[in-house]
Amino acid sequence: MAERRDRVGIGWRAELAAGIFAHLDRVDCIELIADDHFRASRRQLRALRTLAGQVPMMLHGVTAGLASVEPPEERRLARMARLLEAVQPESWSEHLAFVRAGGVEIGHLAAPPRSEAGIDAAARNIRRAATIVGAMPAMENVATLIDPPASTMDEPSWVAGILAASEAPLLLDLHNLYANAVNFGADPAVLLLQLPLDRVRTVHVSGGHWIPEPGGTGRKRLLDDHVHDVPPEVFALLTLLAKQAPQPLDVILERDGAYPTFACLLTQLDALRAALATGRAAAAMRAVA
Amino acid sequence: MSAAALETFLARLYTDADLRARFDVDPEGEARGAGLSPAESAALAACDRIGLQMAADSFSRKRAQHRRPGLPFYRRIVNRLLRR
Repeated sequence: MAERRDRVGIGWRAELAAGIFAHLDRVDCIELIADDHFRASRRQLRALRTLAGQVPMMLHGVTAGLASVEPPEERRLARMARLLEAVQPESWSEHLAFVRAGGVEIGHLAAPPRSEAGIDAAARNIRRAATIVGAMPAMENVATLIDPPASTMDEPSWVAGILAASEAPLLLDLHNLYANAVNFGADPAVLLLQLPLDRVRTVHVSGGHWIPEPGGTGRKRLLDDHVHDVPPEVFALLTLLAKQAPQPLDVILERDGAYPTFACLLTQLDALRAALATGRAAAAMRAVA
Repeated sequence: MSAAALETFLARLYTDADLRARFDVDPEGEARGAGLSPAESAALAACDRIGLQMAADSFSRKRAQHRRPGLPFYRRIVNRLLRR
């Protein structure tokens, strides 16, 4: 049996489909936004299953809201289960976020208050999702422009607590981690090293842009938007992760708009491989020393 | 103390500009009025107001992106048939 290796791939978007198909020799894996395909026809599902047979595929959910004290809506998880059954991806993932509460739809991924009660509820929701869908999701850390109000824990302790209680793997989004660090005055490398890196299975990388704070403070915060190139600091975090986490990693480049040429995206994938290789080499040197 | 009430109040703060305006004036009063405990209300009153506004603006933009003009009735029927 071949030894599992690091893989570098990209988020599947219709705008990138032709480029991905033309360069399957340089795209190790892809990730589909699951919610975009919940209403797919049988023909579309067959096409996705064929695609999953051609290139390793992961499904990524965005609307389950598993990091909530409310239980998840079972109809959403049933849709995810049907999609997994039809498409047969390698794995699936969701976010450590809440997206609705008390009937109010926030419209995006919101960081909940980080507390012990939140850990228990999120772990319960993740286990419930795993039961309904038939596979444990990898759980992703989210970016936030506000340090979650009424929190009693820091982010690494909260994430580690949920992963330990649910036994879920971590989908580590390095740009989300970087954005939270710079927005709230933490050292990104220190934040990374405080996470349970042995649980990382998949990595997201993307870019964002700085937006000014309202009220004329003169300060800015980093918004994770997936429409800018990956900044150098995130490449450095990937190298550090590769140095510290010996298990094979799947790294996914997320791009949701302002698409550059596919050649440019391939260059970024190569740069991600180089960042991984640098970290692996540093780990090997450390082992020899 | 209710974690569910706290999450609901946060979701409303992120999506309701009128509530945010009232919260700016009397944060603890609004939180207590939503059934939150004195400790939760005090914690919310101490929250990062700039971050709250930025997060709310960001979520509002996301909701606007999700809203798409509805298709005419006949197009919905045709699309439904094509999906089979």
